[in-house]
Amino acid sequence: MLSVILSAAKDLMAAAMRSFAALRTTGVVLCVLIAAVAPARAETPDAALAELLKQARAKVPAACTQPTVDRLIKILCAKKIRVGIRDYYPLFATRAGDKREGYEVDVALAIGRMLGVDVDFVRVNAATRIPLLAEDRIDLAIATMGHNTQRDGQARFIRPHYYRSETTVVGPRELPVASMLDLPGRTVCVTVGNGSNAELVSQGARLMLFDEAGVLPDRLKDQTCTLAAQDDSFFAKYFTDEDFNARYFQKFGFAQVPWGMAVARQGSAELARALDLISQVFHRDGLFIDIGRLHSIRLGFLRQQQEVWRTPECNTDAGTANPRCVLPPLNTALPPTSFAPDVTSFEQWVEDTTGVDLTLPMLKTAPAWSLFKDGVFYSLVLIAGALAATLAFALVLGWAMGSRTFLLRWPARLLTMALQSSPIVLTLVIAATIANGLFALSTETVLGAAIAALGLTNGANAGQAVGEAMWSLRAEGTQGGLFGRALSRASTQIVAFLVNAAKGTPIASFIGAPELLSSLTDITSFSSGRITTYSMLLIFYTAVVMVVVWLCGRLRLVLEQRQAAA
Amino acid sequence: MNELMELLSNDFLPKLLAGMVVNFEIAAIALVIGLALGLLLAAGRLSGGVATAVTVSIISLMRAAPTFVVMFFLLNAIPRDATLFGSPFALSGVMTVALSLVPYSAAYVADAGVDGIRHLRAGTTHGAFLFFPNVTRAFFVMVMSSSAGAAIGVTEGITVILRQAEQLPSFDDRLVLFALGIVLFGIPLQAGFMLMSLFQRRFGRSTVEEEASA
Repeated sequence: MLSVILSAAKDLMAAAMRSFAALRTTGVVLCVLIAAVAPARAETPDAALAELLKQARAKVPAACTQPTVDRLIKILCAKKIRVGIRDYYPLFATRAGDKREGYEVDVALAIGRMLGVDVDFVRVNAATRIPLLAEDRIDLAIATMGHNTQRDGQARFIRPHYYRSETTVVGPRELPVASMLDLPGRTVCVTVGNGSNAELVSQGARLMLFDEAGVLPDRLKDQTCTLAAQDDSFFAKYFTDEDFNARYFQKFGFAQVPWGMAVARQGSAELARALDLISQVFHRDGLFIDIGRLHSIRLGFLRQQQEVWRTPECNTDAGTANPRCVLPPLNTALPPTSFAPDVTSFEQWVEDTTGVDLTLPMLKTAPAWSLFKDGVFYSLVLIAGALAATLAFALVLGWAMGSRTFLLRWPARLLTMALQSSPIVLTLVIAATIANGLFALSTETVLGAAIAALGLTNGANAGQAVGEAMWSLRAEGTQGGLFGRALSRASTQIVAFLVNAAKGTPIASFIGAPELLSSLTDITSFSSGRITTYSMLLIFYTAVVMVVVWLCGRLRLVLEQRQAAA
Repeated sequence: MNELMELLSNDFLPKLLAGMVVNFEIAAIALVIGLALGLLLAAGRLSGGVATAVTVSIISLMRAAPTFVVMFFLLNAIPRDATLFGSPFALSGVMTVALSLVPYSAAYVADAGVDGIRHLRAGTTHGAFLFFPNVTRAFFVMVMSSSAGAAIGVTEGITVILRQAEQLPSFDDRLVLFALGIVLFGIPLQAGFMLMSLFQRRFGRSTVEEEASA
């Protein structure tokens, strides 16, 4: 019995011990889990920055002679930071003699104070700011540089971003333009290579290209441009001018781009980390806003960022790695065509073989290829349509002008006289205005208007020749088959105006017809290779016109043989 | 219509007339260069042999090149910092349009020049004089074609009309404005053509008489 009791007691003890061990294991696991799941007590960016700078300063001067040391150490060793900055970008960075001022200048000076070093300014421009970083001629670029996916591979951008711009469309105050929806058919002046051009094109705007943004305000004033699209930071200075502000208005903005300070991708990890933290602190404490207010730049983005960086989630040393706190770079990469590598190889082969720098942007990216194909197709449609319309109007107006009936003859003559007196650009605009008044704006409407205008202009002239031929045949006493014989007699004139109609088709791009000239202008607005592109365009149209000349020559031969037979 | 009248009472007409002067200026530049080049081509075409074949090809190419495309080619293919004999060679808008008309004017002058030289060789001087009305016709065609400058921001007559049209909200007013433009462009054009017809009729008759007596 006792043994039974002891045995039971042992079992109980063993069970209790197993339960305790199980409990202990569970407790440890729970503690580990709780420790893992519970939020860690985050370090502030200020503390992280102080620690980073303390560690860096501890390496000075011992590490100063090491060639591979981080740029942060080099800056602390030299007691100065070399900042790449622009010489003339009103409100952001301008220079008068030795005096520099602007938002970016003051941001650079504030960074120098945070690091405890002097600031050496180095002049950069849009083309040199990234190469100078890579060549170690500057430590930091603060130079109105938009942060996009393309540049992300060329420099290490500091986040959070210190400003954000957008493309703004500016025009006279009285002009009824309020959004992208009002742009189809309108001409917008832009600079070549501006990243937002592709979006304007996709919305149906016609682009007038300029090399420099500096000319845009003058072109608005002299009315060369009705609308101009450019970075809002560029126009900011002009809107501080009372006269400009009274006449023009920012109609709407689009294509927002965050601006980033940047350091070299190699050997700048600690410097970049320090600047990330400094930028974070500047946003949270409103220093960017204070500097921005001092230089009258737009503060909307900076205020919005201050809100973000004051939240507990972002105001930590890990905030700059949190996708909910930082902004992504603008994605500017255009999808390539499937044969883009072959095109690049071909360009390289041409350059190696002939030394000619051939660039074929229309074959390399999907949007450009699509525009190019459409352009070729619509050009051929336009040429065929213009030839058919010219012939049709020549026959109708020729018959009317050769008629003995006053009521047919004089309206046709008056119409011909009016068409002859109207420059082709004006005739096209009138046709487009009437077409848009009657139908909804579309590719078909514009093409139809262009075909009608080209056909009427050239058909009226050819018709006049047919009419005159009819009267001359009557004077000679010809009886029967008068109209057919008149066509044969006027064949040279008819053919001349058919060729003229084909030659005139590119001008249809003026009213927004999406033919090849329009397409290639759009393509070159967001890619390189203007010389190759326009050379190809010239060859294409000259070749097409020569084919038309040959075909028309055959037609004339047929008409002349008919006349000889008659 | 009232808005249109207000518009016309301001500085629209002076601006339009100044713009039309630019059209004539562009055509004059294109004609002068076209005359120099075209007469050289005409001489080449009549010289025989390889020179004739080469000049015939050049003239065919010039005849086929669309003015509007040539204009955009010149605008985009010539770098802004280009130099000629060491001097800056940046084309103004007016010069770009004028040069884009040169292929047409040179080809036209070459054709008319060949006819004129043939008449001279045949001893029909009045026939050779028809070169002048023909060139005048080309001049007026180029005045009208120079409106292509509106596409690259040159302030010529059509540009002035289109800028004013953009300020008019009424469809009818815009059409009236366009009609006014046609009348103003039509007056010098029709006058020119009329003068040319008189000239041609006079010299045409003389030429027939001259050829009959030869």
